[in-house]
Amino acid sequence: MKSNLLLGAAMTVGAIALTSAPSMAATKFEFWYGLSGDLSERIQDMCKDFNASQADYEIVCVSQDNYESNLQNTIAAFRANKQPTIAQISDGGVVDLMLSGAYVPVRQLMEENGYKIDWSNYFSGIASYFSTSTGELLAMPFNNSTAVFYYNTDALKAVGFDGAPQTWEQVEDIARKLKAAGYECPIAFDPTGQWQWWEEFSAVHNQPIATKGNGFGGLDAEVAFNKGKFVDQLAWYKKMYDEGLLVNKSKAAGETANDSFVNAHCQMSSSSIADHGFIGKQAKEGMHWDVTMLPVWEGTERTNSFVGGAALWTLKGKSAEEYKGAAAFYNFIATPKQAEWWSTVTGYIPVTNTGYQAMVDKGFYSAAPYKGRELAIKSLTFTPPTEYTRGVRLGNFGAVRKEVQDAIQAVLFENKPVQQALDEAAERSNAILRKFEKTYPGATLP
Amino acid sequence: MIERSPFFDFVSYAAMVIGLVLVLIPFWVVIVAGSQSLQEVARVPFSMLPSNHLMENIQAAWARADLGPKLINSFIVAAGVTIGKITLAAFSAFAIVFFNFRARMICFWAIFITLMLPLEVRIVPTYSIAANALLPFQVLLDTLGITWLVQSVSGVQIALNWNLLNSYTGLILPLIATATGTFLYRQFFMTIPDELVEASKMDGSGPMGFFWDVLIPLSRTNMLALATIMFVSSWNQYLWPLLVTTDRANFGTVVMQLKALIPAQNGTPDWNVTMAGALIIMLPPLLVVALMQRWFVRGLISRDK
Amino acid sequence: MERRAFYRNGWLPWLLLAPQLILVLVFFYWPTSQALYWAFTLEQAWGGGNTWVGFDNFLAIFADNKYWATVGRSAFYAIAATGLSMAVALILAMFADRALSGTKLFQSVFVWPYAIAAPAAGVAFRFIFSPEAGLIGAVNQMWPGIWDPSTVGWHALAMVIICHAWLGIGYNFIFFLAALQMVPRSLSEAGAMDGARPFRRMLDLQLPLIAPTVFFLLIMNIISSFTDSFGLIDVMTEGGPIGATEVMVYKIYFDGFKGLDYSGAAAQSIVLMLLVISLTFVQFKWVERRVHYN
Repeated sequence: MKSNLLLGAAMTVGAIALTSAPSMAATKFEFWYGLSGDLSERIQDMCKDFNASQADYEIVCVSQDNYESNLQNTIAAFRANKQPTIAQISDGGVVDLMLSGAYVPVRQLMEENGYKIDWSNYFSGIASYFSTSTGELLAMPFNNSTAVFYYNTDALKAVGFDGAPQTWEQVEDIARKLKAAGYECPIAFDPTGQWQWWEEFSAVHNQPIATKGNGFGGLDAEVAFNKGKFVDQLAWYKKMYDEGLLVNKSKAAGETANDSFVNAHCQMSSSSIADHGFIGKQAKEGMHWDVTMLPVWEGTERTNSFVGGAALWTLKGKSAEEYKGAAAFYNFIATPKQAEWWSTVTGYIPVTNTGYQAMVDKGFYSAAPYKGRELAIKSLTFTPPTEYTRGVRLGNFGAVRKEVQDAIQAVLFENKPVQQALDEAAERSNAILRKFEKTYPGATLP
Repeated sequence: MIERSPFFDFVSYAAMVIGLVLVLIPFWVVIVAGSQSLQEVARVPFSMLPSNHLMENIQAAWARADLGPKLINSFIVAAGVTIGKITLAAFSAFAIVFFNFRARMICFWAIFITLMLPLEVRIVPTYSIAANALLPFQVLLDTLGITWLVQSVSGVQIALNWNLLNSYTGLILPLIATATGTFLYRQFFMTIPDELVEASKMDGSGPMGFFWDVLIPLSRTNMLALATIMFVSSWNQYLWPLLVTTDRANFGTVVMQLKALIPAQNGTPDWNVTMAGALIIMLPPLLVVALMQRWFVRGLISRDK
Repeated sequence: MERRAFYRNGWLPWLLLAPQLILVLVFFYWPTSQALYWAFTLEQAWGGGNTWVGFDNFLAIFADNKYWATVGRSAFYAIAATGLSMAVALILAMFADRALSGTKLFQSVFVWPYAIAAPAAGVAFRFIFSPEAGLIGAVNQMWPGIWDPSTVGWHALAMVIICHAWLGIGYNFIFFLAALQMVPRSLSEAGAMDGARPFRRMLDLQLPLIAPTVFFLLIMNIISSFTDSFGLIDVMTEGGPIGATEVMVYKIYFDGFKGLDYSGAAAQSIVLMLLVISLTFVQFKWVERRVHYN
C-alpha cells in the first residue's frame, strides 16, 4: 500500500519534472512609458513588432499616461524593487536619476551585450542632453523633438506677408496687421508652454538658463533667467497680450493652443515638432499652413535649439537576461527601418545622422505631409552645441520650470511687473537648487 | 407643525423646492449632457433637455476609460473593505468594551487616534509602506538582533517583503485599518445592558459564545449601516488607489478613471462622453445610498454621536 | 454608561484586537514615524540615502510665504465651504423638520450628494462652470470674459468651494435633521403658546438646542475640507491657475510626487497632521462633555 503510494508520488514528481523542464521561454522584461492616446498606440505597435521579430525576449510595454506619472510610478516601483527594465524619462526628470546611480549607462549596456553602435552618429544636439559632460551617452534617445513655429499661410497672405516669419519683429508686424484685418487671435499662447516660450527661446538666442553651463558644470549653479534677453522677451509677451495680439489658449480656457490653430481660430502658434502630424491630420479643411524654425530677434546669431521629449533609461537591479533583452530592443529600434517608421507615424524626428540622411535621400521630406519636419533637425543642428545650448542639467528642474511658468502667468494675467516676477521666481528656484544640492552632498554630475 | 400657517407652509415648500433644485442640478446636468451628441453638448447655451445619445456615449466612455475591468476592481475593493471592516471592527470593539484588561484604554486610544489621521495627511510615508508592508517588522527584527542571530545560526537571512503595489490586498487593507467601524460598534456595544452579559455567563457560555449568540444578532442593523457607509466610502476612494497602482490597466479602480474621461489635450471637447462615464461611475454608490438610506443614516448618526 | 459586567480572559482580547492593532501599526504609526524621519532629513528621490538636517525643512517651509499663502487659502476654503454647506443644510433641515406632507421625498433626495465621489462631482461642476461650454458659457457669450477660471484665481477657487459645499449638503442635512427631531415637541409647543411664530421659534429655540451638533459638524466639515478637497482639486484645477486653488494637502502631493521633494512634503505632512489632530481632539473633548451634560 505504502509502496504504491510512494510509486505514485514518484511518478507524479517525475511527470512534473519532465513537464516543467526548462523550455525555451522568452525572457520577459518591462518598458514603462509616459505617452497616451495615439502615440501610446504607436508604441504598442512597436513592441508587438519587436516581439514578432525574435523569440528570445518578450517586451511588455505599459503606458503610465504622462511623463510625471511615469516618473512617479517608476520611482515607487524602484523603491519596492519592482521597477521596469526600461523607463522613458523626459528631460526634466533626468538629474535625480543621474545622481541616484539607479541606471545602467546605455553605452555600457550595449558593449557588454556585444552590440557595436556608432555613438557619434547621434545628433550631438540630442545626445548632449542625455550624456555625461564628456559626451558619453547614458540613455537611448527615443522620442525627440524641438520647438517650432506654426503659421497659417492663408492668413499671412491675406495681410500681405509671403513666406515664413523669421524674426519676432516680423511676427509682431504680422500680428498687428492680422488684428486690424479682423482676426481675433493672431498668436495662440499656451500659458503652460514655458518650454517653447522660455527655454527654447533662450537656446536659439544663446541665453543661459543657469550659470555653470546650464548646470552641467556642477550642482552649485544658479538660474539666470531673470537677467538677459528673457526679461525683455517676457515684457514683450505682456505687451502683445495686453494688445490682444497674443491670446491665452489652454484646455482650461476652452481650447488648447493646437486646437485653436487647427480650427483656424488662431493664426500662429508655437509648440513641438511632434505635433506636426496631429496638425496635419486635424487641420481644418482647406486650411493652408506651414512650419518654420523659432523666430529670433533681428541681428541675433542663431544657435541650436534644445532637444525635447524623452530618452529610454535602463534601470539597475534587473537580471542579466533582462538586460540582454533591453539591449536587443535598443538595437531593434535603432535599425533604419524602425527609425523611419517611428518618424513617419509620429512627428518625432530621427535621432541619428544616417537615419536622417536616409530619409532625406528617399525624398521623405520633399512633400506633404512630412515636409517641414526637416526644419526641426535644422533647428537642432544649426550650430554645434554651445555652453548654453547643450541642454539643461538642473536638479528638480520640474519645480524650477513651475516657478517660471507661474511667473509668466502672473505677469500676463495678474499684471505683475516683469522684473519682480522673474526675480522672485529666480530666488525660489535657487532655493530649490540649493536644497537639491544638499540632498546629494558630495555628489558630482556624471 | 404646531399651528396652521399657510403662508409659512408655502415658504417651507418653496425653500425645499429650491433646495431640491440645488441638489439635483449636477445630477441633471450629468444625465442630460451624457445623453447629448457632440454638437449638442458644445452648443452654448446648453440645452437642459435630454437627448437620445445616451447609449452611444456610454459605450464610448466605457471604451475610452476601460470601465469594464475597472468596475469589477471597484466592486472587489468595495466588497473586500466592507466585509473586512465589518468583521474586524466587531472583534476589536468587542475586546475593548467587554474585557477588562490593563492595556484596554491604551489599545482604545491607539486605535482611536488614527481617526484623526485621514490618509490624505499621511500620503508620503504611507506610500513607502506600500512598497514593503512588512518593513516595520523587518526593522524590529533587525534592531532586536534577531535577524543577525538567525543568520549566524542557520545561514538563513530573514528578508521580509510584502509588496502592496498593484494588488487587491494593497487596495483593501489600508482602508480596513481605519477606526470608523470600531467606533460605531463601540458606541452600540456600550448600550448593551449588563443583564444580557450576566445572563449569558449564567448560561455557561464564554465570551465568544456571547459574541456570536447575543451580540452579533443584536448588531445586525448596525452592521448593515456600517456596510453601506463603507461601501460608499471605499468605492469613492481616489488618492490611495492612485498612489498604490502603477499597473493601472489591471488594478485601477473606476473613480481613478474620471481624469481620463475629461476631454483630452489636443482633442475634441467631448463632454458628452465624459458625463456618460461619470454617470456610470456615480451610479453604484448612489443606488446604495438611495435604497439603503434608512440604515445608513442611522449608522452615521449613531457612529459619530 | 458605566459597564460593570466584564469578561476576564488573559489572551482572548489580545487575539481579538490583534488584526486591527497590526494593521494600525503598519498603516498608521509606522508611516507616521517614517514621515517624521523624512521631515528631519533630506530624502533622495530614488531612495539612495538621506542627510540629517534637523529642523531645516520646517524652517524652510515656515519661511516660504507661498506656504503661508497656501495655509491661508486652506483656511479660507475650509471656512467658506463649511459655512456654505452647513447653512444650506441647516435651512433645508429646519424646513424638513416641520414634517409637512411630502417631506420624506425631499429628504431622501437631499441626502444624495453624500454618495458622490469628490472627483465625480468635480467633473460635473467643471463642466457646469467651464467658460466655453455648458451653462456658464451662455453668460460668457453675453458678457465675454466675465467668467474665466483658467486665468482668474478666485473664479477657480469659487468653483472648487461651491463643489465642495454641494458635496457636504447630504451629510450635514442628516445630522441637522436628526438633531432637530430630538428637540422635544413640548418645548416648541410651549413656545408657540407664548406667541412665538414658527420663524422666531427656529431662531431662538431650535438653534441653541442643536448647538452641540452644529459644533460637531463644524469640526467634521473643516476636517473634510482638508481631505476630500484633494480629489476635487486634482480633477478640476490641479491647483491652478498659478496656485490659486492649491490647498495644503494638494501642495503636499504636488511637492512630493511631482516635485520629488519628499522631505519638504513630509515636513508639510507633519504640520497638517498636527493641525488635524488638534481639531479632532478639540471636537471629541468638547462634544463628549456637552453630550454628557445634556
